Amino acid sequence: MSKKLTGLLAVGALLALTGCESPTETRTVDSRGPDTINTSAINTQDWSNAADQLLASLLSSEALTNAPRTPAILAVDRIINNTSLMVDTDLLIKKIRVGLTQTGKIAVTNTLGLGERAVVASEAAELEEMQSGKKQKTLVPDYTLYAKLIQQTDRNSKLTQNTYSFQMSLVQVKTGLTVWEDEKLITKQTKAKPAIGW
Amino acid sequence: MKNFASSLPVVALALLFGGCQNVNTYENAESRATPNYVADKRVITDNTLAGAVRVVSINQATVSGNLLKIQATVENLKSSPRTVNYKFEWFDQDGMAVNSPNEVWKALPLQGRESTTISTVAISPKAVDFKLKFRE
Repeated sequence: MSKKLTGLLAVGALLALTGCESPTETRTVDSRGPDTINTSAINTQDWSNAADQLLASLLSSEALTNAPRTPAILAVDRIINNTSLMVDTDLLIKKIRVGLTQTGKIAVTNTLGLGERAVVASEAAELEEMQSGKKQKTLVPDYTLYAKLIQQTDRNSKLTQNTYSFQMSLVQVKTGLTVWEDEKLITKQTKAKPAIGW
Repeated sequence: MKNFASSLPVVALALLFGGCQNVNTYENAESRATPNYVADKRVITDNTLAGAVRVVSINQATVSGNLLKIQATVENLKSSPRTVNYKFEWFDQDGMAVNSPNEVWKALPLQGRESTTISTVAISPKAVDFKLKFRE
């Protein structure tokens, strides 16, 4: 009996010392929503939603119909983030780039602008120049893409409202004219937490 | 005990009608779409949702030379405001899905009895067919 009691005590002590750690519950959800976490910030769905709406607007505008060549060359200009969020603007721009490239109407240059740079491709071009002795011809872009993210916050006693504005413009390099531009808004309301909780 | 027994049908009804999150699918019946209004084929798995929000019509156009644009007119059949989620999917000539990074569920807030339009543009010229899905 005393042996059983000692054994039980030993098992009890072991459990107490090691702790019964409950495993973290994680599940994989569809990143395309609608089960993703919604916050007052810009979430995955919001980025895709804004990109989809801007792309649809650009393609519906027929701005690319009169492009001087197919695919037309596009350079990504500055993307200004005027929100309070520390976000990588590629969350928007990459989706726009992928969408435009898939249409077959646009090829994005990596040698101009502040967009994504293909370092190895640039080095390879330099190597080719050195070996062939011929100056590589860099294609001048037909269009540049400029974007800006703005956040406006409004509050009352019950709600905080964040409106995110996704502004985008397509400029024709030859004329310097804006051939398309649009703005998409996403507004989110968050209930204010009581100052003293019970 | 009697109260408990009498509340059972109410609980059963609440379980039956509440909280369904199935998907209703709308797609064009003919694979070669005609301009303007599209004859659509409807697969209803959530009758509650279908009874609250309906697709009045779907029409299509070609933009930027060879890209399909779909627009659906959606109506809230109830008097109270409602938010539903929708998603467009595209398919090519062989029935294969044409994936896009922007193919996400979007929230659509509708006022009572409001009818509004939703639209999207296929980012690939290969896209010939579409599906429009709804869920709560």
